[in-house]
Amino acid sequence: MVSRMAKGSPAVSEATYFILASLLDGPLHGHGIIKRTLDLSESRVKLPVGTLYGALDRLAANGLIAVDREEVVDGRPRRYFRLTDHGHDVVSAEALRMQQAASVVTGRLLRPGSAFA
Amino acid sequence: MTAALERPAATGAGGTSLERRYRRLLLCYPRRYRVEHGGEIIATLLDTAEPGRALPPLREARALVSGGLRARIVAAASDRPAWLDGLHLGVTALCAVQLATLVPYTASVPIWTGLSALALLLVIRGRVRLALPVVALVASKVFAITLGRPWLDPTLLPVDAPPVWHTGALYGGGGPVAPMAGYGLAVLGLLVLAAHRHRLGRRSWLWLPVVPLLAGADPAGLDFGRGGDALDVVRTGLELGLLLFAARAGHVARDPRWAVAAAVHLVPVCVVHAENLGVHSEPDIAHLAALLLATALAAAAPYRARRHPAL
Repeated sequence: MVSRMAKGSPAVSEATYFILASLLDGPLHGHGIIKRTLDLSESRVKLPVGTLYGALDRLAANGLIAVDREEVVDGRPRRYFRLTDHGHDVVSAEALRMQQAASVVTGRLLRPGSAFA
Repeated sequence: MTAALERPAATGAGGTSLERRYRRLLLCYPRRYRVEHGGEIIATLLDTAEPGRALPPLREARALVSGGLRARIVAAASDRPAWLDGLHLGVTALCAVQLATLVPYTASVPIWTGLSALALLLVIRGRVRLALPVVALVASKVFAITLGRPWLDPTLLPVDAPPVWHTGALYGGGGPVAPMAGYGLAVLGLLVLAAHRHRLGRRSWLWLPVVPLLAGADPAGLDFGRGGDALDVVRTGLELGLLLFAARAGHVARDPRWAVAAAVHLVPVCVVHAENLGVHSEPDIAHLAALLLATALAAAAPYRARRHPAL
């Protein structure tokens, strides 16, 4: 799924959408984002670590996420990422766009007389 | 993250062999990136690894290689002005091709081959002001050879290579304009680079293995005009591969520096084709069409990525 929100707006891939969605409830570190993304997508989006950090770099460079804090747990370094206001706007707009797109189909499927009604 | 955090992390899931293999894969990333984030990535990889696993899963290995290349491209695009760095890259490619051309004739023109090698090393190191007179000197000699004049030293013309190379006389495959255009462009590019105040970076030493791969190619003649052989196909494949990489890199970094380098490379190639108009074989025309297409892709990729950004 690579979709366009509006003309000139950046296309949001499915992986990016779920990464941003995973941060809606608060900051997470890399492993936390992978687990949350897997849960939210019902095991459909399983991010390889190299892909995840590439996406995090890109999202941070575009101002959609930011590093919230850094910690060392059991000798392992961790960065916690949080959604910025811009990131919040982008994921909200994308969700609304998909909802509207879905309603085009579901509205017809659930109409009286439809085979799915 | 600090350099201290790049120390081997505690291995919870897969033991040290898995961590060691992941660290090898991390070499795909630029050194600075590894220092800043390598420890964190290794920790996340080990956190997500299946217990008892010793080999990285293929999808993780592929993602690390791809992520590393992407990080290198982004890092390369963030240092210097795009046009300047692209010109430096293009001149480096020209110098590599020019040295490769002379390599089979080293026994006949050892000084000029040596000077050409020195020029390539200086350009790779970013020492363009030192490289400029060296390239200009070699260019003068090349002009002399292509015009059949014994300038600068008493070189016996035509300049032949030992039979093992299966090549004709130096610059014997075409007219004098194409080699002159290539050297003229290299000198002009170095003049522009030398006149600019920005300090140039060092290019990769991986340009050196390109020289033996291209050795024996005649920049004055068409690649397939004399029938072509397996090496010509390898050279063409390498050339197209680099141009497609230029398009990919331009798209990833949304940066035109690789397109500038591709355009610099294309100029002398077009001159060769113009000078040999009428004697093109079908593979030559296909080669030129592929080069034009790949260069156009490299030029369009950064602008398309800017107009249609993806997250």
